[in-house]
Amino acid sequence: MNRDLSQTNEPAKTDSERTNFYNSLTSEVGSAGKIEVARDSVSEPVIRSWCDAMSESNPLYISQDFANDSKHGGIIAPPAMLQVWTMSGLHLGDQFQKNTEDSPSAGVYQLLDEAGFTGVVATNATYHYDAVIKPGDLISASQKLLDISEEKTTAIGVGHFVTTETIYFDTSGKQVGSMEFRVLKFRPGTGKKNEQTDQKPPRPKPASNSSTDWFWDACNNKELRIQSCNECTNLQHPPAVRCLSCGSVLLDSITTTGKGSLHSWAIAHYPQVPAFDYPLIVGLVELEEGVRLVSNITDVEPEKLEIGMPLEVHWLNVDNEFTLHQFKPIHDEKQESEFENTKTDDNNDQTFNADQNNSETESAQRHVSKLDPDNVQIGDELPNSPVPITTLLIVSTALATRDYQDVHHDPKAAQSKGMPDIFMNILTSAGIVSRWINDWAGPEIDWSSIELRLGAPNHPDDTMTLSGSVTEKTEHGNQISLVISFLGKNDRGVHVSGNAKILLPENSKED
Amino acid sequence: MSTNFSSETAIVGIGATEFSKNSGRTPMELAVEACEAALEDSGVAASDVDGIVTFSSEQNFEIEVARNLRIPSLSHFSMIPHGGGAACGTIGQAASAIFSGSANYVLCYRAFNERSWHRFGSGVQDKHGGAEAFDVTFGWTSPFGLLTPASWVAMFATRYMHLSGATSEDFGRVAVTDRRFAATNPAAFFYEKPITLEEHQESRWIVEPLHLLDCCQESDGGQAILVTSLERARDLPNPPAVIASAAQGATDDQQAMRSYYRDDITRIPEMKLCADQLWKNTGLGPSDIQVANIYDHFTPLFLPQLEEFGFCEKGEAKEFLRDGNIEMDGLLPTNTNGGQLGEAYIHGMNGIAEAVRQIRGTSVNQVENVENALVTAGTSVPTSALILSQDR
Repeated sequence: MNRDLSQTNEPAKTDSERTNFYNSLTSEVGSAGKIEVARDSVSEPVIRSWCDAMSESNPLYISQDFANDSKHGGIIAPPAMLQVWTMSGLHLGDQFQKNTEDSPSAGVYQLLDEAGFTGVVATNATYHYDAVIKPGDLISASQKLLDISEEKTTAIGVGHFVTTETIYFDTSGKQVGSMEFRVLKFRPGTGKKNEQTDQKPPRPKPASNSSTDWFWDACNNKELRIQSCNECTNLQHPPAVRCLSCGSVLLDSITTTGKGSLHSWAIAHYPQVPAFDYPLIVGLVELEEGVRLVSNITDVEPEKLEIGMPLEVHWLNVDNEFTLHQFKPIHDEKQESEFENTKTDDNNDQTFNADQNNSETESAQRHVSKLDPDNVQIGDELPNSPVPITTLLIVSTALATRDYQDVHHDPKAAQSKGMPDIFMNILTSAGIVSRWINDWAGPEIDWSSIELRLGAPNHPDDTMTLSGSVTEKTEHGNQISLVISFLGKNDRGVHVSGNAKILLPENSKED
Repeated sequence: MSTNFSSETAIVGIGATEFSKNSGRTPMELAVEACEAALEDSGVAASDVDGIVTFSSEQNFEIEVARNLRIPSLSHFSMIPHGGGAACGTIGQAASAIFSGSANYVLCYRAFNERSWHRFGSGVQDKHGGAEAFDVTFGWTSPFGLLTPASWVAMFATRYMHLSGATSEDFGRVAVTDRRFAATNPAAFFYEKPITLEEHQESRWIVEPLHLLDCCQESDGGQAILVTSLERARDLPNPPAVIASAAQGATDDQQAMRSYYRDDITRIPEMKLCADQLWKNTGLGPSDIQVANIYDHFTPLFLPQLEEFGFCEKGEAKEFLRDGNIEMDGLLPTNTNGGQLGEAYIHGMNGIAEAVRQIRGTSVNQVENVENALVTAGTSVPTSALILSQDR
C-alpha cells in the first residue's frame, strides 16, 4: 500500500484507508449468524450457583415448594440469566479458535483485533423477556450484527462500537427473549482518562515521610494504628518524633479497635474538587482509645449527624494506590431489628451481603417486604443498597454467568489490558440489579425488560450503591406494570444506570 | 515572660491601596504604593527606614520593596510564619527591634492579589504529596477533602455550637455588624452594601455550618504601617498611636489551622496567651478597651476570642452579641472599618490601621473618647494581638 508518510507522522490510517477498513467492517452488517444451541439444557444446579453468586434468594428460582405453588408450577430460571445459557463456556486451549462463521460479530472482532482494537468493554445491554425459561429447556440463540460505528474517540480509547442483537428460542422454537448488546472495541492506551465524565481523578494522596509511612502502610492493610509510647503508654495523633507526654524516643504504635464517636464535623459544599462527591462529610472522630483523627463520615445523611454518635472504621481503596480510613455509624442492634420489623416501604438501606455465611438470615428478612400494587406510586424510591465489591464476588459471578474472560478473574491480565484490576462483567451488573429489584418487589413479579448502560467499572474494594425509583406506572385492567429507573454508583462514578420494566402480580381482591 | 517594652514605641504612619477584586497591577506595585502612602502619612523619609517586618504568604520580599523605595540599608528584617495570625506580631517585632536598638523606623506590610491571582480561599486543593513536615501535616486532612480554610474552621464551629448553644444566627450577627460599618466606610469593598440577618441565613452553604456570608471575601490590595520609638513619634505630624503592648502566642499541641487534637477545641488558648500578656504588660483589663478589631476571616472564631479576652464568660459570646455589644452604641464597638468581612481581607493589617485611626480620632465610624483599642490577629493558627493607646 502506498502510504505517504510525509503527510502525517501518526501511525493512524489515512482517510481513504480508514474508509476502506470501515467498509470491510460493515460488509457484514445486517447478516445473521448460525443458530447456536446451548451445550446443556437449563438446570437447577446452574440456577442455584448463579443465585448463590448473586445473593439472589427469590424462592421462585430456588425453592421447589414455593415454586410449585406459584403460577409457574415449578422453578423458573431468573430472567437475568437469559444470556448465560448459550455462553460458550470454558474451552481451555482452544478458546480463541472459535469459528468466525459462527457469528458475524466474531468476524468483525477478529478484523478489529488485527487492526489493533484489542480492548473490549460492554457499554449497553437491553434484554427483553418474552417467556419464562424453565429447567429442561434447551436454549438456542441467533445473533445478528446490527451496527458498527465509525471510528470514535471515547474516554476509554479510540474505537468502534459494535451492536448486535441476539434472539433466544426454547426447544419448541418459541422466542423466549432477546438482547441488544453494544461493545466498544478500542485501541488500548488511547483513552482520555481525565476527560472521562464518569471517572474522577483520585483523591489527594496522603503526604507522608519515613516518620509517618507506618500509619499509611497500616491503612493499606486495613489496620488503624495510633502512635504509642513504650515508656509511658501515651497515645498521640498526629504522630510525632518524641512522646508528647514524657519525651521518650521509644515510640511504637497500637492497633485501635476502629471504634469511636463523632467529636465534630464539617460538611463541605464549595469549592468542589473533582475527586470528591459533595456535600462531603468530614468528621473529627474520637477513638475509643482517646485520640482524635480526621476522616470521612459515610453511610449517613447529613441531617442525621450527631455529636457523640458511635462510629466504626471502614476502608476506601483509592485507585488501587492507597487505602483510606473512613467511618460510618454503628447502629444500635436492638433499634435495627425493631426497624426491620416495622419496615414496609421505608427508604432504609439494605446491605447486600457478600458474606455467604450470613446469607441465610439476610434472605429470611429480605422477603418480608412485598409490594402492594395499589399503593406503589411514581416517585417511590427503592431502598438504597450498598454492594461491597470483592474479588470473590467478581470471580464467582463471572463463573456463574459462564464468562471466562481473563479480565474478570486475573488481575495481571486485566492490567495488561489497561485496567487497574479485575472488574465485574455486565451479566453480573444485570443480575445484581435484578436481584435488588426482586428484593423490593417480591418474588412473584414478571420481568418484561431491562436496559443497562455501563460506565465506571466495579473493581475489588469498591462499594457500588444502588438507588432507584418508580418512574412509570401503567395499568391494563388488573395488570400493573412499573418502570424503575436505577443507578449504581461507586467511588469512581456511575457503574450502571438504566431502566427495568416489571409486571406486578395481578390483584385478586375483587373476586 | 516577654520583655515589657510597653508604651515605648508607636505607630506613626498608615497607608493602603484601594481594596478590590482585581487591582490590575502586580502585588509588588501594591506593596510599594502602600509603603509610600504610609511614609507620606508619617512624614518620615524612605531613606530613614532601616527595618522591615512582614509575614508568611507575603510574596513581596523586603529587599525588593526596599530597592523600589530606595531604602539604603536594612538592619532588621524578618518574616513571621503562619499568615494572618502574625499581623499584630509584625508590629510587636517592629517595636521589639526598635526597643532593642536594632532599627529606628520599621515598615510592616501586606500586599497581594489573593483574589485576582491565586485565590487564597481555594486552600490546598492543588497541594499534595511532599515529605517535608509542613506537607505531611496536610496528609492528615487533605485526603478526606478538608482542603480549604473555611473547612478547617467549620470543624471548630460545629463543636463550638454544640457546647455553647451558639447558632448560625449568632455567627450572622458578626457579619451583619461588619457590613453595617462597611456600609459607611468609602474605602470598604462593601461600601453602601449592608446585609440583613435573613440574607445571611439565606446565603448558600460553603462548608456547613458556614454560610457564604460567614466567610470574608478574598481581596486585592496592600496595607503598610510604620513604627518608630515614641520619642521620635512625638516629633512627627500625626498623634502617635502608642503601642501599649503587642504579643504573640502559640500553645500546646498547636497545629496550623487544624488544632483538632486538644482537649477542648472550642477554646483558643494561643489567643488567651496573647490576652494574658497584653493585660499583664499594660495593667489594663476588658473594661479599659473602648474599641476593638477582632479578626473575622470566618465569623465563628470571632466568638471565642471575646471569651478569651474576658469581654464575656466562656460560652457566653452569643449573649454578648445578641445584646448588641459590638455595635456603635454597645460596650465594645468592633471592626468599625467593616472588618475583613466588610472592608477587605488584608490578613488583619487593615484592622490595625483602623485602630490607629480610632486613636487619632479620624475613623469614618469614630467611637467617642477612645483611650485604648484592641486588635487581634488570625485565629486557628499561632496568633498575635496588640493594644494601641493615646499618648498621655
